[in-house]
Amino acid sequence: MIEIEKAPPFATIQDLGWKTGRAIGLPRSGAMDPLMLGLANSLVGNPSGAAGIEWALGAGTLRTWEPCELVILGAGEVLVDGGPSDALHPVIPAQPGTRIEIKPRSDHRFLYVAVRGGVDVPSVMESRSTYLPGGFGGFEGRRLRSGDLVPVGPAVHAELGVSVHPRISAGPAGEDVQLRVTPGPQWERFDERARETLFEGRFMVSAASDRMGYRLDGPAIIAGVSATLPSEAACPGAIQIPDGGQPIVIMPDGPTVGGYPKIAVVVAADLRVLAQCLPGRGVKMSRID
Amino acid sequence: MIDTGPNIVPLGESAWTVVLGDKISRALHQRVTGLMARIASARLPGVIEIVPAYSTVTVFFEGNAKAIRTRLDEICHVERNEVAEPNGHAEQSEAAASRLHTIPVVYDGPDLSYVAEQTGLSTEEVIRHHSEPEYLVYLLGFAPGFAYLGDLHPALVLPRRSSPRTRVPAGSVAIAGAQTGVYPLTTPGGWHLLGSTPVRMFDPAREPAALLRAGDRVCFEPVG
Repeated sequence: MIEIEKAPPFATIQDLGWKTGRAIGLPRSGAMDPLMLGLANSLVGNPSGAAGIEWALGAGTLRTWEPCELVILGAGEVLVDGGPSDALHPVIPAQPGTRIEIKPRSDHRFLYVAVRGGVDVPSVMESRSTYLPGGFGGFEGRRLRSGDLVPVGPAVHAELGVSVHPRISAGPAGEDVQLRVTPGPQWERFDERARETLFEGRFMVSAASDRMGYRLDGPAIIAGVSATLPSEAACPGAIQIPDGGQPIVIMPDGPTVGGYPKIAVVVAADLRVLAQCLPGRGVKMSRID
Repeated sequence: MIDTGPNIVPLGESAWTVVLGDKISRALHQRVTGLMARIASARLPGVIEIVPAYSTVTVFFEGNAKAIRTRLDEICHVERNEVAEPNGHAEQSEAAASRLHTIPVVYDGPDLSYVAEQTGLSTEEVIRHHSEPEYLVYLLGFAPGFAYLGDLHPALVLPRRSSPRTRVPAGSVAIAGAQTGVYPLTTPGGWHLLGSTPVRMFDPAREPAALLRAGDRVCFEPVG
């Protein structure tokens, strides 16, 4: 058991989400930064898709009630029984009663707590992710609260090797993030000027951003011809352009279908970089095919 | 625009969307269903899921985008030729898989009198127009288990609410545009609420979790 002694404002159990279910309207859900969750899992010897704690928006404290091995990735500061953790030995060997204080970084939104054996909440439709809009999955379908006792699963033999990615960090907070995008299904509906705005314009992550979608403030992108279309499949990373012209990027809990034209789609490797951006962060986009 | 030929566009790195048209119609739905069945029976390696919508079929995959694209081009080419010279085969197999659901509704929704006012009908006529047709499930989306049902009686077609409600209770039976549906979860929503049903449209502990699937038919039965 890991006790959430003091919960941060927003923490949920997440794994890599539902692989299928789009045909019945079930979003992929899962970690907003699957790479960081996967790395944390690899460091404790779990398969990359094991469930962990996705932690955001503030500080908090964990207390372990059994011997376990934890890795906390993406935190600003981690104190183990009041002392600083050892950055060169990221795996924390916790004992019954060990208290772990976690403070966030000012340049990342989500951090991840992985535990050897994974978080052992019941699997719902083959995922342990929390889908808050539906109130199911994860820990009782809700955010973690102070006093919750999170069960730890038995360690399994994991695949070896840590997959290394060239862009682990979203970079320093003052720098714009660069997102690579591919032309979307409605690319042809946008004229040259709209496409130029997408690639020349500088956008900012809006405060109105959550696990369902990130809004980008900046120059308006106007579709050349009739904007809305009969609802069709969407996916995480799709950049929807509503009538007002302010882009919305669909995130893991976002809808599986939509009627707004999708000018482009953020590549999967960069979507987690966007996920980590705090409100106000500058965003630039470039095209790849 | 007259366009019967499929047009295949990428949806990111791991999905292709086959566009069969840009309208909402039962004829197009038949083509969507038929094409979905063709793609499924081809068992293309790497395909994770096939998602139907009003006028599109989207194929999510892992692996080589070009290889999948080549096979999709072939399947769509055959589909296009057979649509041009129909033999009725696709329609028959689709009809066999369609299920009819009867959903009891208490017509006591907060927007019932507003809808009557806007359409110039009595509330009884609104209920009759809503509960008479046999609806088709065009697609699922918006929320898990939310089915877009059509076609609504033309007299009931209204634009969405100008400001969406922040909380629509699960089980609410609602209309908007030429569509009707049942909210499976308590979510924000902009449709007009005519009534409610105790039927659970989505239950993650049930198998299958969603009551409806694309191609099913639905009748609403007034109760209470």
